[in-house]
Amino acid sequence: MSRLLDTGLEQLTVMVYKMGEIAEKTVGISLNGFMHGKDTTQEVKGLSEVLLALTVEIEEKAFALIAKYQPVASDLRIINSYMKIAYDFERYGRYAWDISLTHKRFSKLENCALAWGPMKQLMKKVTLMVSKSTKALKNLDAEVAKSLAEDENKVDELFFKYLDHLAESPTQTKCALCNLLVARFLERIADHTTYVGEAIIYIATGKKAALR
Amino acid sequence: MDTTEKMKTENLNAWFGPKQALKEITLSIKANVVTAIIGPSGCGKSTFIRTLNRMHELVPEARISGQVLLDGQNIYADEVDPVQIRRRVGMVFQKPNPFPTMSIYDNVAAGLKLAGAKKGQALDEIVQKSLQQATLWDEVKDDLRKPGTSISGGQQQRLCIARALAVNPEVILMDEPCSALDPIATAKIETLIRQLAENYTVVIVTHNMQQAARVSDFTAFFYLGKLIEYGETNALFENPKSELTEKYITGKFG
Repeated sequence: MSRLLDTGLEQLTVMVYKMGEIAEKTVGISLNGFMHGKDTTQEVKGLSEVLLALTVEIEEKAFALIAKYQPVASDLRIINSYMKIAYDFERYGRYAWDISLTHKRFSKLENCALAWGPMKQLMKKVTLMVSKSTKALKNLDAEVAKSLAEDENKVDELFFKYLDHLAESPTQTKCALCNLLVARFLERIADHTTYVGEAIIYIATGKKAALR
Repeated sequence: MDTTEKMKTENLNAWFGPKQALKEITLSIKANVVTAIIGPSGCGKSTFIRTLNRMHELVPEARISGQVLLDGQNIYADEVDPVQIRRRVGMVFQKPNPFPTMSIYDNVAAGLKLAGAKKGQALDEIVQKSLQQATLWDEVKDDLRKPGTSISGGQQQRLCIARALAVNPEVILMDEPCSALDPIATAKIETLIRQLAENYTVVIVTHNMQQAARVSDFTAFFYLGKLIEYGETNALFENPKSELTEKYITGKFG
């Protein structure tokens, strides 16, 4: 016989999965716009706001479940982790919006992303991490979640390499400034994917992992 | 947290006639902490605490094998007086059971009088101290001569706790002490349990998972007469090691 709590947990799961899909889509649209000189601020802003609203909704739902059912063990770990993951997905969206805004501020610098080769690598890596984090959540795959730590190290490496590259450049260009900001936002998204990974490991194994 | 051992059971088995209620229970009960015993009906948790002060043997055809140690001494050894054990290891029951013909004062003093204590200032002081420890003194100090049954259910349960404390026990066993009480009376008893653990070793049997999580430092989960899991309460309720424990505490069976 299913428990009353199960209905609430199922609803919460659907909401968190939905957030993951929207967050992945938001990052994709933003980076695609950046790559192809397209202004995506309005679309990304709209999606970012949907993510924010869902975060609030998930938090309220989670609080109601805690108050009503006083969950323990795996039930409590799931609720606690979903609240954290919802926040991280909301952050994916917010940084995606920042990327779109930065791109717009620098006047649609077409091919700016190509101004420094490894920038493309950085975008590809972070896009993959976002995708990995949402898939690992659906499969509660602790191994994939753990692999985000290695990906994140690579992102950091690329980010700092870019900083060094800029520091050594004789002139500062608009593209360099734009890319620096975008790289920073990407690095932050990568950080949040590892937090999602930590939450997935906690749900799946009960162990508190530190992926960063 | 004082984690020295106050009591220990070793390969403890208990029977009611042919029916075995406890199977090979080896469990350490630490001093000055609250240990909760949880498990579904019929799992042996009440039987277990009744073996800790030799109340189990009061049931016809009940018997045990194995050992129960109190400060390292086997309480079932031939030379041990069960009355002395019940004085050192007190019990509070599910339903408040003050002696109906006695006043509040006499209820608290009953155990001491049985042990030979005479009326007087010394007895008055013990009664007052016991009622204060049970956080009941302020509510009944002007009504000590009223019947013990004239107060509310929650107050009666605290009176029973005061009665248990009056004989200066070392361990207090509680068998679902809040199951007959409303949420406010329950909250008072739970606060009291935490206070008692400062001076006594407390073992509580409860059906209420949240109560076990709130009041205890260590939790033992029993199922079909066996000890399935024992550990620090926070860890057991966050990430139980046994799948059976997980299923029971999350309400998936029981």
